[in-house]
Amino acid sequence: MADSKKPRAPFAPWDRRELPGLFSVEESARRVGAYKWCELKLFEALGGWIATVPELDVKMRLGAHCYKHAWHAELWHKRLPELREMNPDRLTVAPNEHMVRFIEALTEPEAPELTIEKLVGVYRVFIPHFISAYTFHLNNTSDITDAPTMRSLRFVLQDEFEDWRDGEMLIQSLIETPSEVDRATNHQASLEKILLAAGGITGSGTIGFNTPEHEGALI
Amino acid sequence: MRKFLPVEDLARDERFNQITMNDRMADQRTAITTDSRPSRAANRIVPSRADASDAARGLMHGIFVGEIQALEGAGRTCWDFTTGSEAPFELKLDMARQCWDEARHVEISCKLSDWMGSEIGEYAENTVLFQAACSNDPVLRLAGVNRALEGLAIDVFTTMKEFGEVAGDQYLEFAEDWMLADEVTHVKMGSDWLRKITENDPERRKKALDFQSVVDKLFSYGGTRSESQESPIGLARRFRELAGFDDQEIDVIADLSLAALEERKAAVLEAQAALN
Amino acid sequence: MTVEVTPQTFTFVSFDSAYILRIAQRLIGIFGLEDQNIRIDINETTPLGKMHVEFGDPIVINIQSGAFEDFSRPRQQSEPATTQSLGRILLKVSDRLSPEFADAPADEDLTLMQVAIWETYCVGRLSRHDIEINRQRWLYNFRNRHGFNDASDRAFEKIWNSDKLTWDQLQSISDTAVALAQ
Repeated sequence: MADSKKPRAPFAPWDRRELPGLFSVEESARRVGAYKWCELKLFEALGGWIATVPELDVKMRLGAHCYKHAWHAELWHKRLPELREMNPDRLTVAPNEHMVRFIEALTEPEAPELTIEKLVGVYRVFIPHFISAYTFHLNNTSDITDAPTMRSLRFVLQDEFEDWRDGEMLIQSLIETPSEVDRATNHQASLEKILLAAGGITGSGTIGFNTPEHEGALI
Repeated sequence: MRKFLPVEDLARDERFNQITMNDRMADQRTAITTDSRPSRAANRIVPSRADASDAARGLMHGIFVGEIQALEGAGRTCWDFTTGSEAPFELKLDMARQCWDEARHVEISCKLSDWMGSEIGEYAENTVLFQAACSNDPVLRLAGVNRALEGLAIDVFTTMKEFGEVAGDQYLEFAEDWMLADEVTHVKMGSDWLRKITENDPERRKKALDFQSVVDKLFSYGGTRSESQESPIGLARRFRELAGFDDQEIDVIADLSLAALEERKAAVLEAQAALN
Repeated sequence: MTVEVTPQTFTFVSFDSAYILRIAQRLIGIFGLEDQNIRIDINETTPLGKMHVEFGDPIVINIQSGAFEDFSRPRQQSEPATTQSLGRILLKVSDRLSPEFADAPADEDLTLMQVAIWETYCVGRLSRHDIEINRQRWLYNFRNRHGFNDASDRAFEKIWNSDKLTWDQLQSISDTAVALAQ
């Protein structure tokens, strides 16, 4: 056994974490507040839709996914006070009015024959945007100072990937005709356009700006 | 998507046929006998009953559709109320958790129905359970769904678990025990929220408890559930205690259920007298 | 020989006696019971589905309304349920009339296990007459009476796939299953 008195480096040779991150405490809190708002809106919608979809397998999947997104909202809710936001409700807001409009458009389909639209909105539009936003946060925040957020992000991303796959497979199994392909893509396009205006889950700069003048800039 | 979905808009595929409590009440036939001999009057779903397998299959289908409606009810509570002003965020988190639990229960019920040789839609779906989840006050909804409906689920799962235990059906016993654990949690959830939200509002609490009593009576209709062996489903005192019901509350439900059974027997006697 | 269905009209349920008669006549032809006078009495005051036979002339089959009912549409008649229930009970009548079943106990003396083996034998044969049967339902019933184990399942298979068993053979298969499981 090694000499217990022998000094060791605080960071092992294989530990390559670095201190700087792209986000300030305030920016991290703002993003987390937007995550919570979006996850909240998503789990509410999934819960509401359960009674409106006749397909039994979809009904049960929505029930399981409703909880996962509620749990994500809870994780972000608990993270906010740790980011100096003692009133979590203050930051539990949509990043902009376009995102509010997106949620309205997402939750508009109700009729039992609109399961494709419901699923497309969640699994082809909203969840891919969650994956992008969370991945960007995970890849750009400080490995050391923001480790609690990163831990949550990893759990949440795992869920998002699994749910995306579940949802995509459900959509593929429901689409049986070329006109249903059109229905799915048209609905996806209309929602994507609203999200484009919103700039993503956390508004403009959700996944950074891929231009030379922004390179290396703090958000 | 609207707030507050009417029961007749519950989405189902073509296998399902939904009936209301009125439809059920319109059926003048009864399985309850006026014969006072214990062996003739016993209706409890136990393996020693001659039609045990079919009775258990019917009850399992009832559980299956009940779980679907419980899933839908919990989901609607996530959607129907504005977070914060109408329903606390944490209450909604609990309801979302319940969605997952009920979704698993639907899955379990499907597997058990296959095991028992039933088909989806083989029996009618009584929509009374979702009706209890239609109140526009979240506290009343919790009283109706989490305390009355999930309380009934405790009784039903206990009956089915014991059925599996006596028949040597470990598959059934195992699954029912897991569902029972979830239901105890759901009832407790309802009791806790009811206490918390109405802490300073005794009138609202009374209204919620009155509503629960109405729903409990509805679920005891025809003597379906009581401590008498004449009822197909028993009253699971021990698990109800675990879920947070006190003795007095259980006694009230026991009395109410027994009264429903006696009411039904009186109606049968009257109908038979009219026939003769 | 005659076949009769009573009552002619129903009050508590929406059943059609002429329809029941047609199904009964078809099954009676299949099972070779044309030389018997048969009356089918339906008790519409209960939703239960018990069936009982009184041997005499005519042979009286008492059936509770649940046996013919479409459970998804309460009080409505189901063609498959009517066919299956009548098929089961008519095969039992046919068995009772044959010398191979002379040793079978009277209905009221049959144990639940004996009821299960006989039902399985009837339904297994029915399934080979182009009548739709949910096999799992009957396997579950058999298991409830003989245990949830391999010996029980093997006994079920044997009975289900048999067409010419005597009562003693049926009883022996059941006894073996019980003994093996212990």
